[in-house]
Amino acid sequence: MRIRAIALLTFSGFLRNKLMILFLTLFAVVVLLMMTPLMVFRAQAGAPGMPHAESMVLGLIGSIMSLLSGFGSLLAAWAAADAVWADIRSGTILAVLARPIRRWEFLLGKFLGVQLLMAAYVLMMLALSYLLAAIGGERIHPAPWLLIVYPLVRYALYSGLAMLLATVMHPVVSFAIMLVIMVAELIVAPASRAPYLPAWLKAGLYAALPSPELLSEARFLTITEASLKQTSPLHHLTVLGYGLDWALVFFLLAAWLFSRRSLAP
Amino acid sequence: MPPAIEFRGVTKQYGRRSSGEGVTALADVSFEVEAGEVCGFLGPNGAGKTTCINTLMGFLFADSGEVAVLGYPPGDVRAKRQIGFVPENFAFHPFLTAPKLLRFHAALAGLDDTVAANRIPELIAKAQLCGHEDLRIGKYSRGMVQRLGIAQALLDDPQLLVLDEPTSGLDPAGRRDVREILLSLKSQGKTVFLSTHILSELEQFADRVIIVDRGRLIREGPLAELLDRGGRVAIFVDSVPEEMETILSGRGAVIERGAQGVRVLVDPVLKREAVERLWAAGCDVVSMYPVRSSLEDLFLTLVSDAEKSQ
Repeated sequence: MRIRAIALLTFSGFLRNKLMILFLTLFAVVVLLMMTPLMVFRAQAGAPGMPHAESMVLGLIGSIMSLLSGFGSLLAAWAAADAVWADIRSGTILAVLARPIRRWEFLLGKFLGVQLLMAAYVLMMLALSYLLAAIGGERIHPAPWLLIVYPLVRYALYSGLAMLLATVMHPVVSFAIMLVIMVAELIVAPASRAPYLPAWLKAGLYAALPSPELLSEARFLTITEASLKQTSPLHHLTVLGYGLDWALVFFLLAAWLFSRRSLAP
Repeated sequence: MPPAIEFRGVTKQYGRRSSGEGVTALADVSFEVEAGEVCGFLGPNGAGKTTCINTLMGFLFADSGEVAVLGYPPGDVRAKRQIGFVPENFAFHPFLTAPKLLRFHAALAGLDDTVAANRIPELIAKAQLCGHEDLRIGKYSRGMVQRLGIAQALLDDPQLLVLDEPTSGLDPAGRRDVREILLSLKSQGKTVFLSTHILSELEQFADRVIIVDRGRLIREGPLAELLDRGGRVAIFVDSVPEEMETILSGRGAVIERGAQGVRVLVDPVLKREAVERLWAAGCDVVSMYPVRSSLEDLFLTLVSDAEKSQ
């Protein structure tokens, strides 16, 4: 009951946050802009010399969704970094933690509040991917749960890491570190063609950092139903377990550090 | 029954201690507040009052020493179930309305929905916020926020109230309302630990006073005892010859000449000697009565003495 109350209040606070409103407005503008090439493509779809309509439409949708999904990772990191800090800065945390609630319960409430926000974002993305597919005259092959669970786990991982960093440093610094980590993950991914890094360093960093590539739902958008069937339930379980494991470790570390920090504004 | 609040040799420093750049907020502070007492916690700005309160609430950790609240360590959920807290510079989520905020705190306190539904309108009325239920807290005046803060602290009928400057930002009428709430809590046998600058009000209902300055405890004890200790005896006489004035001044007396006569203020232990001397010198002793010093006088004297001694 206590954790739920904090989670709901955190979510409700995000929806009234000016930065969040700006972010969602940008989201809408980007989406509208990206619909244009899809509409142009659809208009030309019947023309001769356009044999791979399905893969091209799905490829385009995959690119749009990858971009929005990346935006989501930034949103998860920012929301988690700011969630606790904003309460400490404003002093609202004092009246809340004077109640019979443990610090880890408070942090869990905050974490779940961020996950509620990200769930709303994922549902928006899901609706958008279906809308884009409809505009492009194609259909989305993967089951909806894949497009919901994969990004949710990835966002839980990023928000856990951002929350961990924000318990010991300023949220802006935490967010900057998150950006560096995200860029590093892209550079060291096996598919990346970054020639300026030695192979041993790439391999080392790839092993040490969480892999967003594995947890990407966008990769399912671009493949056909036949290819999808080749992905076994065990694969999904392993990958999602991997992501949740990272998220849990980050959260537990954050809770441990938070229980030892001063809460004076 | 354990004391409601217990500080034993508590020290807290801010900043880097290793490099010697730290600021000592609390230095070996020890005191106790018994259950059922109304205790005023006094000190000039920067004396360490808020650090002390944040430590007892479990928001800060002492570098050394022991703190217990209702017999439990600070921040323990079992203690927090019995505590109502009003922080200094009270802050709330500005997008909430008063009933929503109280419902949120009721959920945190684990209050049953039915109990909360009955209690919330009662507290809104007590905080004089009726008619403002739909207004967001962000639009409230400081006084309204402060009253709401006190209302939320009373939500689950706590045994111990910890109030950090609860009357700051309130107008005289608001301060009177807070005083009435505190008096009613006192009559119910609740323990109140209150930090304030409004000493004249505290004097009316506090049982015990703790005074800190620069992180050090400079005086603590029952209020009546502290005030008596600083008090004097006034001897009212028709006149005092100059040679007698010199003798009495030499014994620490203060002579105040007025149109109606002369008031001689002496230490209570010297009252008999002073009266006998005045009588022997032919002065007509009209009256004699004890003069209690005010809490403000006591506070200013103690703080000034502490400054001089450092």
